[in-house]
Amino acid sequence: MTSIRALATGACAVALASLCAFVAPAEAQTYPTRGITMIVPFAAGGPTDVVARIVTSHMAQALGQSIVIENVVGAGGTTATTRAARAASDGYTLITGHMGTHAASVPLYPKLAYHPEKDFEPIALLAGTPILILARKDFPPKDLKEFVAYVKANAEKVNAAHAGVGSVSHVSCELLHSILDIKPVGVPFNGTGPAMNALVAGQVDYMCDQIVNAVPQINAGTIKAYAIATPERNPSLPNVPTTTEAGLPTFQAQAWNAMFAPKGTSPAIIASLNAAAVKALDDETVKKRLLELGSVIPTPAERTPEALATLVKNEIAKWTPVLKPAT
Amino acid sequence: MAETMGHSATATRNTSVAIGFCLLAIAPQIFEFIWSIGTIFGWGAGRGPATVLISHATALVAGAPAALIAAAGGDTKKASSDVLLALIYSYPILAVAIVTLFMTIRSAQDYVGGVILMALALFALWASSDLQGMRGFSFGAGTAPRMFGGLLVALSAGIALTGLLTDGPGMSHYSWRGPMFVMASIVFFALAIRPLGLVVSAFVSFMIAATGSHETRWVEAAIVGACLTVGCALLFPYVLGLPMPMFPRFLNP
Amino acid sequence: MDIFANLAHGFAVALSPINLLMCLIGALVGTLVGVLPGIGTIATVAMLLPITFGLPPVGALIMLAGIYYGAQYGGSTTSILVNIPGEATSVVTAIDGHQMAKQGRAGPALAIAAIGSFFAGCVATVLIAVLGAPLTKLALAFGPAEYFSLMVLGLIFAVVLAKGSVLKAIAMIVFGLLLSMVGSDIETGASRMAFNIPELADGLGFATVAMGVFGFAEIIRNLDAGAEMNRDLVQQKITGLMPTRKDLIDSTPPILRGTVLGSILGILPGGGAVIASFAAYTLEKKLAKNPSRFGRGAIEGVAAPESANNAAAQTSFIPLLTLGIPPNAVMALMVGAMTIHGIVPGPQVMQKQPDLVWGMIASMWIGNLMLIIINLPLVGIWVRLLRVPYRLMFPSIVIFCAIGIYSVNNAPVDVILAGVFGLVGYWLIKHDFEPAPLLLGMVLGPLMEENLRRALLISRGDWSVFLTRPLSAVLLAIAAFLLLLTVLPVLRAKRDEVFTESEN
Repeated sequence: MTSIRALATGACAVALASLCAFVAPAEAQTYPTRGITMIVPFAAGGPTDVVARIVTSHMAQALGQSIVIENVVGAGGTTATTRAARAASDGYTLITGHMGTHAASVPLYPKLAYHPEKDFEPIALLAGTPILILARKDFPPKDLKEFVAYVKANAEKVNAAHAGVGSVSHVSCELLHSILDIKPVGVPFNGTGPAMNALVAGQVDYMCDQIVNAVPQINAGTIKAYAIATPERNPSLPNVPTTTEAGLPTFQAQAWNAMFAPKGTSPAIIASLNAAAVKALDDETVKKRLLELGSVIPTPAERTPEALATLVKNEIAKWTPVLKPAT
Repeated sequence: MAETMGHSATATRNTSVAIGFCLLAIAPQIFEFIWSIGTIFGWGAGRGPATVLISHATALVAGAPAALIAAAGGDTKKASSDVLLALIYSYPILAVAIVTLFMTIRSAQDYVGGVILMALALFALWASSDLQGMRGFSFGAGTAPRMFGGLLVALSAGIALTGLLTDGPGMSHYSWRGPMFVMASIVFFALAIRPLGLVVSAFVSFMIAATGSHETRWVEAAIVGACLTVGCALLFPYVLGLPMPMFPRFLNP
Repeated sequence: MDIFANLAHGFAVALSPINLLMCLIGALVGTLVGVLPGIGTIATVAMLLPITFGLPPVGALIMLAGIYYGAQYGGSTTSILVNIPGEATSVVTAIDGHQMAKQGRAGPALAIAAIGSFFAGCVATVLIAVLGAPLTKLALAFGPAEYFSLMVLGLIFAVVLAKGSVLKAIAMIVFGLLLSMVGSDIETGASRMAFNIPELADGLGFATVAMGVFGFAEIIRNLDAGAEMNRDLVQQKITGLMPTRKDLIDSTPPILRGTVLGSILGILPGGGAVIASFAAYTLEKKLAKNPSRFGRGAIEGVAAPESANNAAAQTSFIPLLTLGIPPNAVMALMVGAMTIHGIVPGPQVMQKQPDLVWGMIASMWIGNLMLIIINLPLVGIWVRLLRVPYRLMFPSIVIFCAIGIYSVNNAPVDVILAGVFGLVGYWLIKHDFEPAPLLLGMVLGPLMEENLRRALLISRGDWSVFLTRPLSAVLLAIAAFLLLLTVLPVLRAKRDEVFTESEN
C-alpha cells in the first residue's frame, strides 16, 4: 500500500520541511521555487479534472516543480473560483476554469463574488470539448433538420434533459432553445450520469451534452446524435455531421477548459506558465490523451493569454443574453 | 433518568416554561443582534447592531400588526423580511407561550419538545418565504420547503398536544459542562485548522474536550493527546493522502 | 457455458500478483476509511484517484472498487462500537448494533456484520456475473415516478424502524426532509434557506449531520452526570468475542433475506443502497415474533441491514458494467478513473474491456474473502478498544470526527455545523426523538423531491402518473400497506405502548 513507503518518506519530509522552514531564507530565485497548487473547481475524475491532470502532469516536468491538484467542489464551481480569485497572486495558486465558471456564471449567479475578466489573469486555453445534440434512440426525427422542425412543432410536448442548472448541458441547451426560439420543458437531473440514464431509458427526449460520455452510447446505438456543434467533425465520431453541415450553423458551442491565475500575477510568471502549457499541448502523449477524450486541441493562435482574454470576453457576451431570462 | 412530573406541574413551573418560549420567540432576532455586533469590528458584512435592533423592534411592535391589518383589508403589499419573521415565527410562538400559562403540562418532555420543533418548522417557513411557489404545473423552489414546513408545524403541534393530554416523562436534566467543552473543542478545531495546522489544533482541541469530563486526569490526557496527535498527523495526510496543513502558517515562509 | 470462460478469464486477471496486491490495498484502505468516522468513501476515492493514474487501469479500478465495498465492512464498526454511522447505509446498523455493544456483545455484533457482509458479497458477485445484463433492465425501468414511489416507501420504512412514538418518528422524518432542502434548488438554482452562507450553498452534508446527531450528541450525553455508571457497566460486561450457535442460527434467515433485498435494490441508481438497509431492517422487524426486541440489541437488526448494504454495494456495479452509466457518486469517480486511462465506459464495455470487467468481478469475490479474513481477527482489537477509559476515548472521538468532517470538503464551517448538530442531537435525545428517521429523511429528501418534480414535469402536472405506471403503483401500495400495518397496532395498543415506554 501507499503506507509504508509513504510513511517513511512522509516522516523524512516532515523533518526536512520543518528544518527548511527555519534554515532556508526566502531566496530570490526564478519562478517557480516551490510546488504549485492547481485548483480544479469540480470533482476528481470529471471532464475538467481529467484535462487539468493530463496537461499539468506535463507542465510540472517543464517547470521543474510539482503541481498539486486540489479539487474544490460546490455551487457549479463558483466556490472554488471565488477562492482562486482571492488567492495570493504569486503564481503558486492557479485554477483550471471552464466555460461555466468563467463565462456562464456571470449571468447565472447575480451575486457572483468574482468577475472572470476583472479578477483573473488568463494563462492559456487547454482544450475544447465539443457539444452534441443527442436524443433517445426512438425519437422520431431522423436528422437535424427534422429535429428542428419536430421540436418547433411539438415544443409543448418534448422534454429536454440537463445535468442541473449551470451545467454545460443546461447552458448549451438554453443556447439551442434561444436559437430555435422555443421554450420546451427542461427536466433537471443531478449530474450527467443520471441524465444519460434517463435518455438511454427513453424517459426524456433529447439533451445537449459533452462528447466524452456520449461516444460509447452512440456507438452502441442506445442513443443517437444529430449533430456536433463545432466547425469540424470529430475524429471519435466521424459519422456525426457538424451543425453547419446539418443546417443549423448558428448553433456553435464548446465546453472549453482554460488556466487562470489570480489578478495581479506578474507578466513574467504568466509568460512562463503559458510557455509550459503550450509545450504540454505540443507533447505527443498529451495530444493523444486529449484526443482520446474527444477534445479539440487549441491552435497555436488560440493558446496565447490574449486569445484567452478575448475568448472569455466573447463567451460572456454570448451567454449573457441566453441565460439572463432563464433565471 | 426521567423523573415523572405528571400532574405536579405547578403554576410557577408553567411561568418559567412560558418565559422560555417568549425568549425562543425572539431568538433569531437576538441572534442576529449578537452577530451584528461583529460588524462594528469589521467582521463580516451585514447590518449594524443599531439598525438590527431598531428594525426588529419596529417590525415586532408596529410592522407586523400593520401588515396583518393591511392583509385583512385585502392589501397585498410585500412585507419586509423582518416583518415576515415577526409574523411567521415570533407571533405564533408568543401565542403558544401565552397559552402555556393556562395549561396543565402532563408531559413536559413532549410538550417542550413539540413546541421547539414547531419553532424550527416556523423558522423554516420564514426562511423559505421568499422563494418562488408553484409555477403552473411545475414546482417552484419554495413549494417543497413550505409543504414540509407546514406538515412539520402540524406534526409538532400534535406532539405538543400529546404532552398536554397524556401523562409522560418530565423534562430531563440538561448538563452544561459536557456540551460546552465539547462544543468549544469543535469550534477551536474549526477555527485553528487552517491557520495553525493539524498538529496544534488536534492537540489543543483534545485537551479542551478532555476538560468536559470531571474524571479527566491531566497528565494522562496530555500523553494520550500527544500520541493521538502524532498518530493523526501520520495517518490522515500520509496514509490517506488528505491534503491538510500540518504546522502553523507562520512557520512557513 | 460462456459465463465460466469469462469468470475463469476474470480470475486469471484478478489473481495476478499486482492485482491481488491492489485488491488487498483497496480492502485495507476501505476498512480504514469505513472505521474512521467522518471520512466517507466518496472523499477517499476522490483523494486516492490521482494515485491510480500511475497504475494499470485494471489494477486501479480493482483498488477503487475494493475501497468502496471495503468501507461497507468498516462502516459497521464505528456504528456498533461508538454509535457513529460513517455512511448513510450504516445508520440502521447503529440502532441495534450499538445496543448490543452496550450489553457487552460488541464482538458478536461485529462478527455477524462481517459474516453477513461476506455472504452477501459473494452472492451478489455471482449475481453480477450471471445476471448482470438482464438485471440492467430494472435500472432502466425506473423512471422519476417509480423513484418517487420508492422514496415514499423508504420513508415508511423509517417510520417502522422507530421504536418509540410513531408521531415523533414521522416528525423526525419531516424535519430531515426540511434539512435536506437547504442549499440550491436543482431546477431553478435558487438558494434555499442558506442565509447567504457559501458553505450551505450545496446543502448540509450527510457526514456533517450524522456526526453531529449521532457522534457528538452521544458523547455529550455520555458526559452527563450519572452516565458514568452505565458506561463502566458496559466495560465489565463484555462477554464472548464470537457469536454463539444461537446467534448464528438467529442470523441466518435475516442474512439471506437481507442479501436478496440488497441485491435487488442495489441495482437502482441513486438511493438504492440506502433504502436496501432500511428495507431489510423493516422486513426483519415485521417478521419477528417479538418486534419489541428491535432497537434493544437484536442481532437480526445487525445481520439483515449489513448483508443488504454489502449486497447493494456489489450490485450497484451492474449499471456501470453493463450500461456504462455510474449509478452513484463513487461510481462516477470510477468512471473518471477509467476516462483518465482512456477507457470510456459504455454499453459495450463488457465486450471491449473483458479484462477490466471480468477482472473486477472476480476481484470482488477475492476482495470479500480478504475482508472477512481481515475483519474477523480485528473484532478482538475493536472490542478491546471499548475497554479504554471513556475519559480518554471521548476526546479522541471528537478529534477523529472533527478531522474527518474537515477532510470531506476542507471546510472549517462544516466542523462547526457538525458541532451545532451535536447540540441538536443532544436536544433530540433529551426529548426522546430518534435521530435515525431524521437521517433517512435527510438522505431520501432530495431524491424524493427531485423525482417528484421530474415526474410532474414530464407528465405536465398530472399526479395520476404515480398510480398509472404499474411499478410505481405497486410500490405505493406496499407503502400504504406498511403504514397501515404500523399505525393500526399503535392506535389499538396506545395504552400499553405508553406504559412500556415510561418504564424505561
